[in-house]
Amino acid sequence: MSKTYVIPSVARNLGGWGTRYEHGRTTRAPAPSLTLGMTLLLLALPAFAQERVILIKNATILTITNGRIENGSVLIRGSKIAAVGKDIAAPANAQVIDATGKFVSPGIVDTHSHTAVEGSVNEISLPNTGMVRIADVLTADDISAYRQLAGGTTTALVLHGSANSIGGQSQIVKWKWGHPIAEWPVQGAPRTIKFALGENPKSANFRPPEGTPRQYPATRMGVEEVIRQSFTDARDYMAAWDEYDAKKKRNETAIPPRRDLLMETMADILRGNIDVHSHCYRSDEILMLLNLGDELGFKVRELQHVLEGYKVAREIAAHGTGGGTFIDWWGFKAEAYDATPYNVALMVKNGVLTSVNSDSDELARHLNHDAAKSMKYGGLTEDEALRLNTINPATQLRLEKRIGSIEAGKDADLVIWTGHPLSVYSRVDTTMIEGEILFDRAKDLQQRDALKREKDERLKKEADEAKKDKGGKEKKDA
Amino acid sequence: MILRLLGGAVHSGESFARGLANLRGRPCRLAILLFLAAPALFADAPGVYAITGGTVHPVSGPAIENGVVIIRGGLIEAVGKNDMPIPLDATNIDAKGAHVYPGLIDAQTSLGFAAPAPRRGFGGGGGGGAARRQTEETAEPTPDSLAIRNARISDDDADARRAIGVTTIITAPAAGIFNGQSVALNLGSGAIESRVIKSPAAMQVSFNPRPAWTYPDSLMGVISYIRQTLMDAQQHTAARAIYERNPSGLKRPDENPSLEALQPVLGRTLPVVFIADSEEMIRRVQRIAAEFNINYIISGAREAYAMSGDLKNVPVLVSVRWPVAPSDKDDQQDQPLRLIRFRQLAPTSPASLAKSGATFALVSGAGKTGDFLPGIRKAIKSGLSDDDALRATTLSPARIFGIDRQLGTLDKGKIANVVVSDKPIFDEKSKVTHVFVDGREIRLPKDEKKTAEAAISTSPIDGTWNVTVRASQGNVALSVTLRNEDGKLAGTYSGEIGSGDVRGGSFADGTFEFTISASAQKGAEASDWVFHGTLSGDSMNGNVSTTLGTFEFSGSKSK
Amino acid sequence: MRNHTVHLIRPSGTFAEESGRPARPREAGRMPALLDAGRRATKRQAHRVAAVLALALFCLPLLAQSTIPNNPGRKQTIVLRGGTIVPVTSAPIPNGTLVIENGKIKAFGPAGSVQMPTAAVVLDVSGQFIYPGMIDSGTNVGLVEIDSVAGTVDTTELGDLNANAQAAVAINPHSELIPVTRVNGVTNVVSVPEGGIISGQSALIQMAGWTPKEMIVKAPLAMHIRFPRLRSAPLIDVPQDEEAEKELKKSYTKDVDKLRDILRDAQAYARATGAKVKRVDRDLILEALVPVVEGRLPVIMHANLERDIRAAIQFADEFKLKMILAGAQDVARVIPELKSRNIPVLLGPILAMPQREDDPYDLLFTNAKTLYDNGIKFAIQTSEAQNARNLPYHAGSCAAFGLPKDVALKSITIFPAEIFGVADQIGSIDVGKVANVIVTDGDPLEFRTNVKRVFIGGEEISTDSRHTLLYEKFKARP
Repeated sequence: MSKTYVIPSVARNLGGWGTRYEHGRTTRAPAPSLTLGMTLLLLALPAFAQERVILIKNATILTITNGRIENGSVLIRGSKIAAVGKDIAAPANAQVIDATGKFVSPGIVDTHSHTAVEGSVNEISLPNTGMVRIADVLTADDISAYRQLAGGTTTALVLHGSANSIGGQSQIVKWKWGHPIAEWPVQGAPRTIKFALGENPKSANFRPPEGTPRQYPATRMGVEEVIRQSFTDARDYMAAWDEYDAKKKRNETAIPPRRDLLMETMADILRGNIDVHSHCYRSDEILMLLNLGDELGFKVRELQHVLEGYKVAREIAAHGTGGGTFIDWWGFKAEAYDATPYNVALMVKNGVLTSVNSDSDELARHLNHDAAKSMKYGGLTEDEALRLNTINPATQLRLEKRIGSIEAGKDADLVIWTGHPLSVYSRVDTTMIEGEILFDRAKDLQQRDALKREKDERLKKEADEAKKDKGGKEKKDA
Repeated sequence: MILRLLGGAVHSGESFARGLANLRGRPCRLAILLFLAAPALFADAPGVYAITGGTVHPVSGPAIENGVVIIRGGLIEAVGKNDMPIPLDATNIDAKGAHVYPGLIDAQTSLGFAAPAPRRGFGGGGGGGAARRQTEETAEPTPDSLAIRNARISDDDADARRAIGVTTIITAPAAGIFNGQSVALNLGSGAIESRVIKSPAAMQVSFNPRPAWTYPDSLMGVISYIRQTLMDAQQHTAARAIYERNPSGLKRPDENPSLEALQPVLGRTLPVVFIADSEEMIRRVQRIAAEFNINYIISGAREAYAMSGDLKNVPVLVSVRWPVAPSDKDDQQDQPLRLIRFRQLAPTSPASLAKSGATFALVSGAGKTGDFLPGIRKAIKSGLSDDDALRATTLSPARIFGIDRQLGTLDKGKIANVVVSDKPIFDEKSKVTHVFVDGREIRLPKDEKKTAEAAISTSPIDGTWNVTVRASQGNVALSVTLRNEDGKLAGTYSGEIGSGDVRGGSFADGTFEFTISASAQKGAEASDWVFHGTLSGDSMNGNVSTTLGTFEFSGSKSK
Repeated sequence: MRNHTVHLIRPSGTFAEESGRPARPREAGRMPALLDAGRRATKRQAHRVAAVLALALFCLPLLAQSTIPNNPGRKQTIVLRGGTIVPVTSAPIPNGTLVIENGKIKAFGPAGSVQMPTAAVVLDVSGQFIYPGMIDSGTNVGLVEIDSVAGTVDTTELGDLNANAQAAVAINPHSELIPVTRVNGVTNVVSVPEGGIISGQSALIQMAGWTPKEMIVKAPLAMHIRFPRLRSAPLIDVPQDEEAEKELKKSYTKDVDKLRDILRDAQAYARATGAKVKRVDRDLILEALVPVVEGRLPVIMHANLERDIRAAIQFADEFKLKMILAGAQDVARVIPELKSRNIPVLLGPILAMPQREDDPYDLLFTNAKTLYDNGIKFAIQTSEAQNARNLPYHAGSCAAFGLPKDVALKSITIFPAEIFGVADQIGSIDVGKVANVIVTDGDPLEFRTNVKRVFIGGEEISTDSRHTLLYEKFKARP
C-alpha cells in the first residue's frame, strides 16, 4: 500500500531522507505495511539527518548581508549552513551540487500569505476575533505550498484575513511540503496577530446576505473605536486578574475572573508577547494606528500592503515599524487608487524596513519579480532589491538571526536559480529548507509521468471494479 | 382480535403503561381483565423463543454450528449447541442453514433529527432566505440538549435499520457544534423511554461553522469556541465550588445549564464524541482533548489508514460512508490524485485499525441506511476480516459506550437483540429473516431489500429476463440480462443458442431493441437475432428477426 | 486577482480568466489647456511640469480625469540615431538610424545607410534600444478605472447575449490606466468586454489619442464568446447534492442551446436580409452577428479547460466560425485540433495559477513553448487592466521556461498583429508601419529595464503617469 505512493527514488537520489515532495500531495506513508527494512531505515533516520552534508559549488552566491561571491560555495551540515566562501573543499561524505553558471540565494520570505489554511481565512463574525488562531487550522494538503517552493519561497507568515479590525492570530511557517503539518510552524518564532484598517474591516465592498444585519464598523472612525475599545477592555481584564491575584496573595476568598481567550490575546499584545501585523492602505489610517499604539501601549511590527506608506514613510520609520507591500497592484479599490510602484523605493529611502509580499498563492510563486521591479521604479540597487525578498522580511518576522541571508550558522534555506533571481528569464532549479531539498525541478519533471500513470491506474482499477460489480450482480440475478 | 377489545391504544407503549397503572388501582377487576387481556398482552410482549439449527455467532466466542439461542422475557436465556434442552414453552425459530448474530449496533447516527440546514456561505449566494428559515426551525443544540428528549424516529426509519440487522443505534443531532448528549437506543417498539440503553451515551461535538456573520463562522473560530466553552465550564466548576464553600462576600456565579452539562465531561465520566474525518482534523481533536484532559472518541476517521498507529489509545467510530468517484470521465481526470488515493485507501482504514490493535466500530455516520451494509462489505473487501467486521458492529461499539454488559454478544443474561440472516450477514446477497429486539420479534416489512434495490435501479427494463422465442422449429429459451444506460441497452445473454454480450440495444418509452449472436448448435456459425419489443411491467413481448425468419417472443422478469 | 487582498472568500488558487479579472471602470474628461502645448518636454522639463501637475492632480477629487499629457498632435519628422534597432521581424541593427515621418516609419537601417530627412528632430539614443511598441491581446484598459467602484466599471453588460455591445464606444481616452500602461512600452491593447455568453465586440486601440476614435486601430476587432462552462473550475470533491448537479448540467445545455439558437437566427437573418425580397425588421443583435456567421469577423472563444475548449471548437466547426482561442490553460491537450483548423491562440494570463491540483506547477509558463514547438500561431495577453503594463513579464516568464527570447518578444508584438490582421500597420519596425516605437535602456522583457521614450503614431508621448507624478510629489515632501 505504501509503495504505491511513496516514491523511494526521491529520497535516495537527493540524499534527503524523507524527501517526499511529489506534487500530488504529502505522502503520509501508512505505517502498517512498512517492511522491516524500511522500519529500520526510519529508526536510523534522525542520526542520518545529522550527518547530512551538502556542498553547493561553483555558484554565484548572493549572501545578502555580505555581498556577492562569484564562483562560491555553500557548505550545509544537517539543517544549517556550515560555511560560505570561495574555496570550500567537499568533505568526504558530502553530496556535491555543481551549480556552475547558477545563482544561490536565501529562501524568499513572504510576510503575507493565506496558503495552507483549512476553512475560511476569515472569522468574519465579530469586529475583533483575536481569539482564533491560524495555527489551529493549518493543512499540509495545499498544493500552493509546493508551488511556492518551486518559486523559491520558503518561509511565510500565514495571516488571518482582513475582514475585521482585529483579526485572528497568525502563524509563521516554512513550506515543509511532504512533512506532517505539525512540522511546518517555525519553532520559537514570535506570535503574531492580524489587524486590518480601511475598506475591509468596514465592509465597504461586501455585505452580509439579506436579513443579516451589517456589522460594526462602517467607517474608519469605527475601526479606530474597535481597536481602542478592545485595548481598553484588555486593561480592565488585566486589572481584574491583578486584583484577584492580590486577593489570593492576601489569602482572601475570591472567585477567579473568567479566562477569556480574546482578552488574553489582547493582553498579550500589550505585554509585547504578540507582534501586530496590520493590513492598511491609506496614509491617514496608517498614522491613526501608529499613534493609537503610542497612546495605548502597543507596537506595530509590520504594516501590511501599506500602499500609501510613501506618503508617511518618515513617520513609519520613526516608529520602527516595517512595511510589506505589493510592488505594483493598484486601482482594484478606491483605497488603492493612490498606490504607486515607487512606494517601495520611497519607503526604503526613508529608512522603513521594507519587504515585498504576496497575499496571493500566485504572486508568492514569483516574489523575485516584485523585488526586481523596485530597481525600475525608484532605482533601488540590486542589493536593496534582494533584501526586499530576504533579510528585510526575515527581520520583520524577527527571524533575522536564523533566515534571510547566507551566513554560517543560519538555517540552510537556499534556492538555486538558473540565473540572477532578479531576471525574468531565471527560474528555480532547487529549493531546500533546513538542508532538505523539497523542490527539485529535474525530479519534478521526472515524477510527472509516474503520477499520471498512478492516476490512470487507479482510475482504471476503479472502472474495472465497477464493471465487475455490475457484471457480478447480473450473474447472480440470473 | 382481543387486541381490538382493549382498543387500538395498546400498541402504544405509553398508553399501555398507563393502562396497567389504572389496573393496579382496581385490584378487584384486575384478575378478570388480566384473564381477558393475557393473550393480547403477551402476544406482543417478550416471549420465549428458541432459535435452532443455525450457525450461532456469539462474538464473545467461536461460532457454533447447529447452535441454539434461547430468548426469554427480553433476555438471552441460553446459548449453546443443539444438544441443549429446548424449553417446552418456546416458539421455535428454525434457522437451519442460517446465521444468528447479536443485533448490530450503529454507534453514530442522527436518526430522529432533521438534517442540518445548508450552511449559508459568504456573500449569501443562493437562497439565503431558505437557509435562514430552516435554521430558525431547527434551533442549534447545546451541551445540555438531550437526544432522548428530541429524537423522533419514524417507523420507516426504524424498519429500514432493522431490515439490515441493526437493533441498536446511538443518535444525536448532526447540527451545531455541541450537538448535545447522545442516546443509545434499541430499535424496538414502545415508548422511547422503554428502549433506552444509555442516556447520555456521550457528549457529541462537531466542527460545524455557523452561517457567515455568526460566531463562529470559520473552522478556526469553531476550535476557539470549543476551547472557550470548555474553559468556561472549568471556571464554572471552580466558581461554584468557591461560592458554595462560603458565599458570604462573594458575588453569586451565574447559573448555566450548558456549562453544568459539561461537568461530567471535565470529570472524565462522560466521553466526548468528536466528529473528525481527516488525519489533520483528528490531530486537532487530540490536541483539544489533551488540553482539557477529556475522555474522547473519534467519529468519522475515514483517513485513519494514514495514522492507525496513533489511534491505539482512542476509540474510533469509522464511518463506512466511503467517498465515491464522480461519474463523469473528465471530472475523474480533473480530481486531484490526492483525493483518488483517499477514496481508494479510506476503506482500508478499518483493516489497518484492526491490524494496529485499535478499538474501533463501524458506523453509518452521515450515510444513508442503505449504505451501511455495502459500506461494511467494502471494508471487508479492503482487508477487514468478517470476524473483525462483526465485532466492530457489535461488541466493540458496546464496549466503547460502556454498554457491553447488556449488548454486543450472544451471551446468557444479555438483552435479547438477535438477528437471523439467511447467509453470513455481510454477504452481498444476505437477507435478514428474523429480528428480535428486547426479546420481541419485529416483523420486517416485506421485501424491504428488493424495494430498496428497485429504487436504485433507474429503468424498468433493468434485470434478468427469461425469454422464450417461438421459432418455427420449436421454442428457444434464453436468459437476457439488460441494463438501461441512458437509453442504450447493454447486457448479456445466455441459453442454448450461446452466450455473449447484447449489442445495438436501445430503450425508450417502453419499446426496446437489441441484437444477439445466436448459433443453432455449438460451434456453428452465429447469426444475428434482432429483438424488437415492448415492455409492460414484468413481462415483455415482440418479434425477433433472424436469418430463418421472424418469430414472436415473450419474456418475464426473473425474480 | 487583486481581490485576493480581501480574502473574504478563500481564493481557489485558480485564476480562470473570466473570474480572474476583477471589476472595471471609466471616466471622461478633457485635458487642461496648460498641457496643450504639444511640445515634447525633456525629462527635466517633464518633471517640472509633473510637479505642477501633481499639485493640480491632488486638488481634484479622487476620480478626476487624468492630467497626464496626451499625444501632442504634431506628427513631426523624427530621427532616432545611435541606438540598437530591434525590428523583431529582422535581425537587430546596432548603431541604427530610424526615421519617422507623418506618423509612419519612413526608413531604418545601419547608420549611414539611411537617407536623412532635410528637417527633422534628431534624437541621439546611443547605448539604447529601439523596439516596436508592445501589444496586449486582451485587456480591459479603457473600460475600467477602479475595480470595486461600480461607477467606474464598464466592462460587463447585463444579460447573456450582448453581441451588439462595442468596447469602442466606451473607451475612456483619459483613463489614468492608459499612461500607466504605455510608459512601460505597451502601445496597443485589445480592449475586451466581459461577462455573459456573448460579451460583445472588442477594439484594438493605441495608448494615445484625444478621443476614442483617435485611439482605435481596429473595431470591431472580434466577437467575444465566453463559451458556456459545465463547471467554472475543475471538480475537486464529488458533489453530494445530485439535484444541484443535474441543474448544473441542465443550465449548461441551456446556455449552449441559447448560443446555438442565436447563431442560427443570425444565419437566417443574414439570408433574409441578403435575399432582399422582403423587408425584414432590423435586429441589432443579429445584425452584429451576421459578420460572425459569415466568417468575416473572428470569434474569440474564451475557454480554459480541455472540456470547454473542445466544446468551443466543435461549436465553431458547426457554424464555420473564424475562431481564435483565448485563455487556453489546457491548450497542450488540444494541439492536433487547433493545428488542423489553424486556430490561433491568445494565451494568458501567464502569471496565474494552474487550475488543477495535479497540473504541473509550470503549466502556464510552458504553454507558449508548446504552441511554438507545434507551429501554432499565438500571442500573449494579460487579461489585466491596471497592470497591462506587466505584459512583457508575462512573455518573459514563458522565456524562463523554454520559449526562445526572440519568440517571447514576438508574442507581444508581431504575432498579435498577424492574428488580428494588422501586421501591415503595427507589430514590428518595418518601413511603412505606424511609428509605435519605444526606446529602452535594455531588454524590455527584463524588470530592470526602463522605457526612456514612447512614440505612438509617430508622436512622442510623455513618460509621466499617475504613478510617476505621485512619486515626484512625495519625493519632494518637505
